[in-house]
This record gives sequence, C-alpha cells and structure tokens, in this order.
Amino acid sequence: MHALKNAGSAKLVRRLAALSAAVAVLALAGCDDNGGDPKMQIGANPVLPKLQQYLMPPIRIAKVVGWGSETPKVPQGLQVHALATGFAHPRSLYVLPNGDVLVIESNGPKAPIYRPKDIITGWVQWFAGAKAKDANRITLLRDTNGDGIPELRTVFLDHLNSPFGVTLVGHDLYVANTDAIVRYPYQDGQTSITAPGTKLTDLPGGPIDHHWTKTLLASPDGSKLYVGVGSNSNIGENGIGAEYERAAIWEVDRASGAHRIYASGVRNPTGLQWEPETGKLWAIANERDEIGPDLVPDYLTSVQDGGFYGWPYSYYGQHLDPRIVPQRPDLVASAIVPDYALSSHVAPLGLAMYTDNELPANYRGGAFVGEHGSWDRTPLNGYKVVFVPFSGGKPSGPAQDVVTGFLDADNHARGRPVGLAVDKAGALLIADDVGNTVWRVSSAHVGASPKPGT
Amino acid sequence: MKHATITEAALINDANSRSTAKPRGRPIHTMLVSFSAAYFTGAFVTDLVYWQMPDVMWERFSIWLIAVGLIMAGLAVIAYVIDLLSRRQMPAWPGVVGYAVATLLSLFNAFVHSRDGYTAVVPAGLMLSALVVAVLILTAGVTSALANRHRVGA
Repeated sequence: MHALKNAGSAKLVRRLAALSAAVAVLALAGCDDNGGDPKMQIGANPVLPKLQQYLMPPIRIAKVVGWGSETPKVPQGLQVHALATGFAHPRSLYVLPNGDVLVIESNGPKAPIYRPKDIITGWVQWFAGAKAKDANRITLLRDTNGDGIPELRTVFLDHLNSPFGVTLVGHDLYVANTDAIVRYPYQDGQTSITAPGTKLTDLPGGPIDHHWTKTLLASPDGSKLYVGVGSNSNIGENGIGAEYERAAIWEVDRASGAHRIYASGVRNPTGLQWEPETGKLWAIANERDEIGPDLVPDYLTSVQDGGFYGWPYSYYGQHLDPRIVPQRPDLVASAIVPDYALSSHVAPLGLAMYTDNELPANYRGGAFVGEHGSWDRTPLNGYKVVFVPFSGGKPSGPAQDVVTGFLDADNHARGRPVGLAVDKAGALLIADDVGNTVWRVSSAHVGASPKPGT
Repeated sequence: MKHATITEAALINDANSRSTAKPRGRPIHTMLVSFSAAYFTGAFVTDLVYWQMPDVMWERFSIWLIAVGLIMAGLAVIAYVIDLLSRRQMPAWPGVVGYAVATLLSLFNAFVHSRDGYTAVVPAGLMLSALVVAVLILTAGVTSALANRHRVGA
C-alpha cells in the first residue's frame, strides 16, 4: 500500500520534471539565433523580421584590447592618424571657429539598481569598457602650424556633469550637461574657461538617467537650440512617468530658456545636424533592444516639427511593441516611418553632415555616422564610421564603410567610434571612447596639411 | 494553567514522536524551503496585482521576490545536502523533486521577469508564477499525506 502510494506520487513528480525539462529545452533553443545580413536593413525600406522575446537576452560584447600600434582602416584616397591620445572616455567633439578642437571627455552618471538585472547590466558594461570614470571635462586641442598634430593641449572646462553636446553662438558657449544646458562666456582664442556658467534650462537628468547624452545644435540664426533627449529606459520598464519630456528633440529658446517638444517618440536621438541642401533638421537615433538581433534598426531621419516617431508604442510606423501597456493607438496612428535605416543595434552616436572640400568630392553633401557598435547581437554590427550619400536633401544610396578596423580579427575591440566633427581644414574627426583617442581622417594627398591653421 | 500544561505536554509528545523519525530535531533546510516558497507565492500575488494594474513597482516586487526566493532555495539545497550527509538519511524523493521543479520553474521565471516592460509579467511570467505556486501546493500536499501515512504506519 505504502509502496503503491509512493509509486503514484513518484509518477506525478516524474511528469512534472519532464514538463520543466521540456520548458528548459524550448527556452535554450530560442537563444542561439544569429542576426541576418545588415545590408537588408540599410536604407528606406529595411526588412523587419517577426518580433521575438527572450528568456535570456543575447549579450555579445567585444572584449577591449586597445590599439597597440594599429590604426583604423580607411579606403584608398583617405588617410587616418591619431590627432591625440590618452583621453578619458572621449564621447563627442566640437570645432571652434578658430579651428581649436574641443574633446568632451564624459561618461554617464551611476545607474541605480532597480532590478537584479541592473546588477548584471553593470558587469556587462564594465566588461565592454563602458564603466570608465567620468572625467566630466572638456579638453582643448590646438594645431598652430596646420600639420594635423596639435601643439597645445589644455583643460578647457572642468567639473561638468556628464556633458555631451557643445555649441557656440557668438560669444556664448553652451554645454549640454546631462541635467542642464549651461552657458559660458567665450572669447576668441581662449584656451580655458574659468568663469562660472549660467544655467539656461534644466534637462531631464537623474535619478535614473538611462540615456544620459544630450546632443546640442544651434539654429542657423542662433535664436534656438535643439537638444536630443534620450528615453529613460529601453522600452518603458521604468514606468511611463519616468519618460516625461524624454525620447524627444527639444527646441529651446536661447533668450528665455523656454522649451517645447519639437519632435517626440525618438528613443535616443544622439546626433543632430542641418541638412546642407534643404536646411532641414536631421537626427540619428538608437532604437529599442531585446526583441531580436534584427529589431529594431537604428536610423537616420529628417525631423518634422511636431512629428511622433513611435517610441515606445511602436517602431517603423505602426509595428506595435507588446511590451507597452496601455497602448496609445491615437499616437501610433500618427507615427512617422524614419527616412533611412542604418541596420539593427549599430548604435549611431555621432553624426556629421559634410560640406567641406578636403575629403574627396563624393563625400560632399552626405552624412558621416559614427556607429559605436552592438552589444546584444551576433554577429557584431557597427564598430565603424559609415557614409550615407545624399542628393536632393535625401539619402541616395547604401551606406558605405569609411573608417573600419575598430574590431580585430578575433572580434575584440581596439576602439569604438562615438562623436564626429569636421575640423577647420575639412578633415573628419572621430572620438574613440574605448581607444581613448581622437582620430583624424583626411585626403591622402600631399601630406596632411591642406590649409594653414590660425 | 491546566490548558497550558496540556499544550506543553502535546508539544513534548510531538517533539518525541518527531525525534523517532528524525533524530536531531527540525532540520534547518525545512525553514529555508518555507521561506523560498513564501517568496515565490508572494511573487504570484504581486504578478496578479501587476496584471490588473500595470505599475512597474509591482513588477519590481515580483522579480526581487523571485530572486530572493531563489537565493533561499540555493541555501536550502546546501543545508539539505549537509543534513543528508550528517544524518545518513535517504532523501524524501517526492518532496525533493517537487521542490526542485518549483525552483527550476522559478529560475525561468526570473529570466522572464527580467524582460523589459509588460511582457516581463503578462502572460508568461504570471503563468509561471501560478504554476510554481501550484507545484508547491501539490508537493506540500503529497509530502504531508506521505508523512501522515508514515506516522499512522509507525
């Protein structure tokens, strides 16, 4: 009797064990799918696969090895060299009218831990070299003899708060810290600012501050500042209240500091530029994670006044994201499809529209995009600077690789490109926040000094 | 006063009868098992609340309850192995397997609950939480039925 009863319960137990084993197998089977060819997702009509949800989201980061004696690779006709090295996590660049280069050395504020996952994320970021100490500083580089090698290097501004965007209007230098735009007086040729700043406006900062970079662009007449304010989460997991005035491009009045939301639903707008032919505002944006290696493609798009670009409710127009409840069908109906997909998880963090003559003519009028590189996709994607040709104010062809070699043959990261800028001579500058270097790409003609410096 | 005495006597009796089955009193792993079961059950409750009222706070409660439940379960395993070795006892298989299934499901549930947004809970997380509670109740039922049988048999 005793034994019989035991046998009965053992049978039940075995069934349960079999069931959970089946669940385990299903779960693991869903884990090892690779992303497709990124070329399918470049341009106006990216192929969007079916959305999938993970038990364990794939994490694929490139171990940091540094450059050693290597340099990035550029196509024939171009040359690249390190403008300067030894920075502390350089994230963005700005070129002053006299040719001085500002290197914004910055990192995000400490992320709070709300869930066990946040602890794991912290480890992953540390492994990817993203946990460097926040230098909170802007360094100035000056090349006095125009040989492409700066002779002067000074601390231009110090004790900032996770700065990213910088722009100069007249003699007012604006720095977008993660929590405020601060104005500093700037005199031509100044190599260091010690005067205290004046706050123009607060920006959405802590305590979560998931996407902390605030990119900055002045309107051509200087009356307005446009600010890229990233979302406070991947897909609203910190609550919709945490997203107030985030995932948006702000228009700030320079005189009063008042702001309005110029465009919304842009998950993380990390670069803003004026398209030279039409004068329209264009942005790069980082789209959402954890629904597949090929979802959702990051993009480059013109920004319409009052436009809504989907986040968090939908992507690429009306593709609904089930992770957001309650949904907003009214907003989704109006969601704009971005103009140009850059493929998934490339993490575009730098944008430069090229209008100069130093680089070969085919680069004129198009956009360079710095792709920091993926962390949740196999095979890796990004880790390069690409060029998107434009004609008639619109992208006119597939993106071309311009600066590569950030990954070695073993998929280890020598560096990762972030912010871009064009220097006074017309060369392309690239901030490398893992290689702690600023790279300068110029034409491979006679030396590296096409124009004399100041 | 009299009532108190009786209770005491009952307790002593109970302790005596238990000591015949398990030589050195109540082992620590049973306490840890109860803790983890309570945490897993708590997660089911907060999942239900989130399902009805999707505020991220409830989802965060759930994942922490599951995580702490798993830590307790890990400690319970260590304590149980030590108990088994020191007492030279045979494991009580139905209870062990039932609890292992519940813990394994909770481990999956922790991953599901680590997703971002609504689908961290609805529907997979909520279903797993419910399943874990069902397995725990079933295991408890089977174990106690077997224990009663043992006791009656003895």
